[in-house]
Amino acid sequence: MFPGRSGLKVTAGWVLMEEKEGEYRQINRVRAGTAMATSSEEVLLIVKRVRQKKQDGALYLMAERVAWAPEGKDRFSVSHLYADIRCQKISPDGKSKIQLQLVLHTGETTNFHFTSESSAVKDRDAAKDLLQQLLPKFKRKANKELEEKNRMLQEDPLLFQLYKDLVVSQVISAEEFWANRVSMNSVDHSLTNSKQEVGISAAFLADVRPQTDGCNGLRYNLTSDIIESIFRTYPAVKQKYGENVPHNLTEKEFWTRFFQSHYFHRDRISTGSQDLFAECGKLDEQGLKSMVGQGVRNPMVDLVSFEDKSLDEGYGISSGPSTSGHNKTLKENSNAAIIKRFNHHSAMVLATGLHKQDAQNEQNGETSSTDGNSKDSDFFQPSVKKVKLKESIEYADLVQENGRKAVSLNLKKSDRYSHGPTPVQCQQYATSQDIINSVNCIRHETANYTPRLTQVLSSSTASTAIAALSPGGVLMQGGTQQAINQMVPNDAQCELKHLYVAAGELLRHFWSCFPVNTPFLEEKVVKMRSNLERFQVTKLCPFQEKMQRQYLSTNLTGHLEEMLQTAYNKFHTWQTRRMLRKT
Amino acid sequence: MASDDELSLLVIVVDVNPIWWGQQAQREPEFTLSKCMDAVMVMSNAHLVMTRSNKLAIIASHCRESHFLYPNKHWKAGDFAGDESSCGSRDGKYELLTVGNDLISEEIKNLMERTEVRGQQTETLLAGSLAKALCYIHRVTKELEAGQEMKSRILVIKAADDSALQYMNFMNVIFAAQKQSILIDACVLDADSGLLQQACDITGGLYLKVPQKIALGQYLLWVFLPDSDQRSQLVLPPPVHVDYRAACFCHRNLIEIGYVCSVCLSIFCNFSPICTTCETAFKIALPHAMKAKKKKLKPTT
Repeated sequence: MFPGRSGLKVTAGWVLMEEKEGEYRQINRVRAGTAMATSSEEVLLIVKRVRQKKQDGALYLMAERVAWAPEGKDRFSVSHLYADIRCQKISPDGKSKIQLQLVLHTGETTNFHFTSESSAVKDRDAAKDLLQQLLPKFKRKANKELEEKNRMLQEDPLLFQLYKDLVVSQVISAEEFWANRVSMNSVDHSLTNSKQEVGISAAFLADVRPQTDGCNGLRYNLTSDIIESIFRTYPAVKQKYGENVPHNLTEKEFWTRFFQSHYFHRDRISTGSQDLFAECGKLDEQGLKSMVGQGVRNPMVDLVSFEDKSLDEGYGISSGPSTSGHNKTLKENSNAAIIKRFNHHSAMVLATGLHKQDAQNEQNGETSSTDGNSKDSDFFQPSVKKVKLKESIEYADLVQENGRKAVSLNLKKSDRYSHGPTPVQCQQYATSQDIINSVNCIRHETANYTPRLTQVLSSSTASTAIAALSPGGVLMQGGTQQAINQMVPNDAQCELKHLYVAAGELLRHFWSCFPVNTPFLEEKVVKMRSNLERFQVTKLCPFQEKMQRQYLSTNLTGHLEEMLQTAYNKFHTWQTRRMLRKT
Repeated sequence: MASDDELSLLVIVVDVNPIWWGQQAQREPEFTLSKCMDAVMVMSNAHLVMTRSNKLAIIASHCRESHFLYPNKHWKAGDFAGDESSCGSRDGKYELLTVGNDLISEEIKNLMERTEVRGQQTETLLAGSLAKALCYIHRVTKELEAGQEMKSRILVIKAADDSALQYMNFMNVIFAAQKQSILIDACVLDADSGLLQQACDITGGLYLKVPQKIALGQYLLWVFLPDSDQRSQLVLPPPVHVDYRAACFCHRNLIEIGYVCSVCLSIFCNFSPICTTCETAFKIALPHAMKAKKKKLKPTT
C-alpha cells in the first residue's frame, strides 16, 4: 500500500486508495516533498513501469503538470507544466513499443515508454485520456504571441542583442520595445504565413479504390485527406457524421454505410429504405436545382445557348423542336442522371475553393451556398460589365495620345552649372606690358636652349629632396597613421557597435515623437528623454571610462554623445516653448 | 617574347605657359624652362631605359595649343639613318635617347618661337592637353598586337594656375581617364591645384607639390618614375586631403552646408524664397516647416 517505493517521498498519509490489477491509483491529496514539487500538489494518476531515456521509473500526472521520477529516486527528473505542452502523440497500434510523446511549445519532445507486461496499452491510454482532458484547460492563447516573440529574437541576433541591451538592463520596458515590432511583424506574419490551402482534387472519390478482400468483400482505404475532401465537398455528409458519430455509430460503421449506400454509387435509385444518406441525396437534388435556378449572372456568358442539338456528328445544329425539358425527366435517362451528378460534384468541389472563408465565418450552421459561381456573378454589376466591354473593344496603342503636359525646366542662368565648384578667384592681373615682357623673355631663353642633362641636379639639392621624401620628412607627414580599427581591439569594437544600435533605437523613438501633437506623444517624449539619460549613464559612461583606462587617444564615443546632446537640446527647446505657451 | 612584357606608356604633359615661365625666369633665374625641360628629359630617358618596351609621349601645354614634343608625326622610331643633322650619338648614349632629346629640344624651340599671346588667352590649355593625351593612349592601345597589354599613365607638370573655365572639360577628362584605368599624376610647381588634386584622387595617381623647384629632377625620379605596380612596394608621400566641397551658385564660396533647389539642383548658401536659376517659388511656411526643406550638403570625402 505504499507508493513510496516508486520514488515519491511522502510525509503524510492519504485517504482513499484503489487497488486495481496490481496498480496503485492515488486519488487524494498527498504531500509530496520532492525537490521539484511545490507545496502541495494533487496527484491525479501514477503510472508505474514507465521508462524514459532507458531508465525505469514512474509517471505522475498532477493537477498542473506531468512529471516522471526514476526508480528509487526522490526527485522528479522530468517535469512539464500542462501549459507548456503543445500536444501529445502516441505510437501507432501495431508497434511493439508502446509510447507516449509530449511535444512542448519550444519544440522539445519527451518520450515515455510503457513497459508493464500486462497493461502497457491500458496505462498509456489512461495517461493519454487524462492528458487529453487536462491539456485544453491550460492551453494559453497568449503563448502564441510569446512564441512569436521568441522566434523573432532567435532569428535575428541583432534584435536579440538590442533586446538584451535595452530591456534586460531596464533602460526601456518590454512593452515599449515590442510596441513597434509586434505590429510590424504581425502584418508580415499574416502575409507570409497564410499558406495556400490545398484544393480538393475532383477525383478524390475515384481515388478511393476498393480492393477485393479475398472473399466477396471490398476494402476501402480511407485516409484523413479523403475524409476531409468528402466533408468539404459534401457538407451534408459532414452533418450526418456529426450527428451520428460517435453516439450512434462508430467511424468505421459510418463509412461502411456510406460506401454501401446508393448515395455513393453510380445509380442513385432511391429505394426508400432506411438509409442514412437518402436525405443527402435529396439535399443534393435540391442544391442542384437551386444552382440551375440561379443560373450564371455573367452577362458575357450565355449558357443557355449551349445545347446539344446536333443532328449527328459533323452535321451541325438542328433547330427543330427541342427535346430537352419534360421528356427527359420522364424517361430518367441514366446518362442524364450521371451527367447531373458529375455537374453537381464539380460544382461542389469548386464551391469549396471559393467559399472556404465563408464557411469559416458562418458559424450558424447555415449550409454554404452551393453554386460555384455566385461570387463571380455578384461582381458583374452594370459598371463592371461596361468596363469589360470597353476593355475588349479599345486598344490603348490605337487611341490618340493625349500628351501629358509636363512642366519643363526653365533655367535662366544655366552658365552657373558650367563653372563647377571652383571659386572664381581674382586672377593675378598681368598688365599687357608684363605679358609681352614675359613672352619675349621666354622666347629668348628657349632660342638658346640646349639640353644639359649632366647638370640637372646638384648633389646637395638632391639629398635635401631625398630627405624630404624619406619617412619622417617634410612631405611624408600623415602617412603613417594607423587605421583606427587596428588600434582598438575587437571586443571594444563589438561593444561600440551594440551601443550604436541601442542608441539608434532609442533616438529613433525619441525623434519620431516630434512634432508633438498629442498628449500621448508628450508623455512619450518625456519618457524617452529619461530613457536616453538612463542609457547614457548605465551604458555609455562605463564604456567611456573603460576606454579611457585602456586607450587614451581615441575618442570613440564622441559622436554618440553628440547625438544624445542634440536630442537633449531639442527636448529642452521644446520644453521651454511649451512652458511659454502655457504661461 | 614581346607579349610577355607588359607595355608601359608614360605621357608627360608639361605646362609651358610662356607668361608664367617668363615671369618665373625673372623671379628665379636658377630655375627656368630650360631647367625644367632638362629634368623632364632626364626622367623620360630613365623611363625609356627601365624596360625596353616602355613607351613615351610628351605634350607641351601652351596657352594657344597643345603640341606633341615627342614623338613627332614625321619621325618613326627606326628612322635614324636618314637624319643628317644628328649623326648618331655624341656621348655614347643609347641612340633612341639621343634622338628623342634632340627632337624634344627642337620642338620646344619651335613652339616657343611661334608663340603669340592674343587678348586674354593667358591660361594654359591643360584640359585640352589631357584630352590629347587620352586620345594618344587610346590610339596606341588600338595599335597593339593581339595579346599585348598596356598600362598607361599621365604625368602633369603644372606651373601656372588653374583655369576655372576649363572645369567641365577637366572633369570629363578625369572621368574618362578613370574609366580607362589611366592614372593621372600631378607634379605642381607653384600653387596648389584643386582640379589636379581631384584628378589624382579619382584616378588613383599621386599628387605632389614640390617644395624646391630646382630639385625637380629628383622628385620626378623618386616619386613619378615607378609605375603603379611598383608603387605599392614603395613608401611614397601619402595622399593629400582633397577638398570636395561644392561652391554656392550665388557667390562661388565653398560651402559645407547649404540649400539645394529641388527642381534645378542649384546650390545656395542662403535660403531665398525663389530659386534664381529656375525661378521656382518655395512656399514660405512656419519655421518648423522650413527646417524640413533644408537639405544638408555634406562634404563628400
